[in-house]
Amino acid sequence: MALESLMESIAADIADATKTLFETMILMDLKYDDAILVDDTQIRTDVIGMVSFTGRYHGVIALFCSKKFALKIASTMLMTELTEFTNEVKDAIGEVSNMIAGNVKTKLAAQHGDMHLSIPMVIAGEGLSVTAVNNHSAVADTTLSCFSKDPWLMTPFISNNEMFNIGLLLRESTK
Amino acid sequence: MPKVLIIDDSAVMRKMIQRIIQQSGFLIDEFVEAGDGKEGLEKAASSNIDLILCDWNMPNMTGIDFVKALRGSGLKSNIPVVMITTESSETRIEEAKNSGANGYLTKPFTPDQLKTKLGNYLLVK
Ligand SMILES: [Mg+2]
Repeated sequence: MALESLMESIAADIADATKTLFETMILMDLKYDDAILVDDTQIRTDVIGMVSFTGRYHGVIALFCSKKFALKIASTMLMTELTEFTNEVKDAIGEVSNMIAGNVKTKLAAQHGDMHLSIPMVIAGEGLSVTAVNNHSAVADTTLSCFSKDPWLMTPFISNNEMFNIGLLLRESTK
Repeated sequence: MPKVLIIDDSAVMRKMIQRIIQQSGFLIDEFVEAGDGKEGLEKAASSNIDLILCDWNMPNMTGIDFVKALRGSGLKSNIPVVMITTESSETRIEEAKNSGANGYLTKPFTPDQLKTKLGNYLLVK
């Protein structure tokens, strides 16, 4: 299967997994649009929750959202109104990313063999960029350096009048 | 009254599970928490646990290694373990059951799904 069409099908799985997650655990409205290719220079975000996977294909699934939206998600999951961006909020975004990536991985593994999923990693700041500058960016050093030239296949979501995105980077592993 | 050990690397998930159990009206004496399999083994050995709910993907020691270690320890090896994880393939579920897990619930789950699953191990008030 060509990499582009596999990425399209994974993006559809990401939308499905996110929809299921919102229907079961987050209980907030959710709409999404078609996934589009986005150059990483176009990405500006407050919070990144990401999980990487390895196997016949390797890549990253990352959730990009505002701090306001991260607070809203964590508040809903904990059923308490959180106002400060604590470690608990980061934890909630990590687990949300983990649940989405985990379900996508199961579908991917059924077709392409066993895959390993990383523990989620969450980065928070103000107007973060994910562009690797000579591979010295903190994000690039860990998981993204090898992808810095690849565009993300980004699915835009809207919930609670806030927009968030879930992106995918994918490559076929060399044997 | 039962003591429940919840092992998950997400503190938010541990809290969510506790809240659902409490709202479901199960008779619970105490919740004990652990952030990975290693801590889970220590907590299982040091307190009288009646039910273990365990995640799969965690740092230090995964849930499947925890179950294998617990079942192999001889000590406390008959405590029921329910895996609660995003790992949802048949292969993984088989592996967990063969390693000694009693029940399996995939994330994400609804409160009702958790309640039904735990109804096999806990009594309602
Ligand atoms: Mg986990």
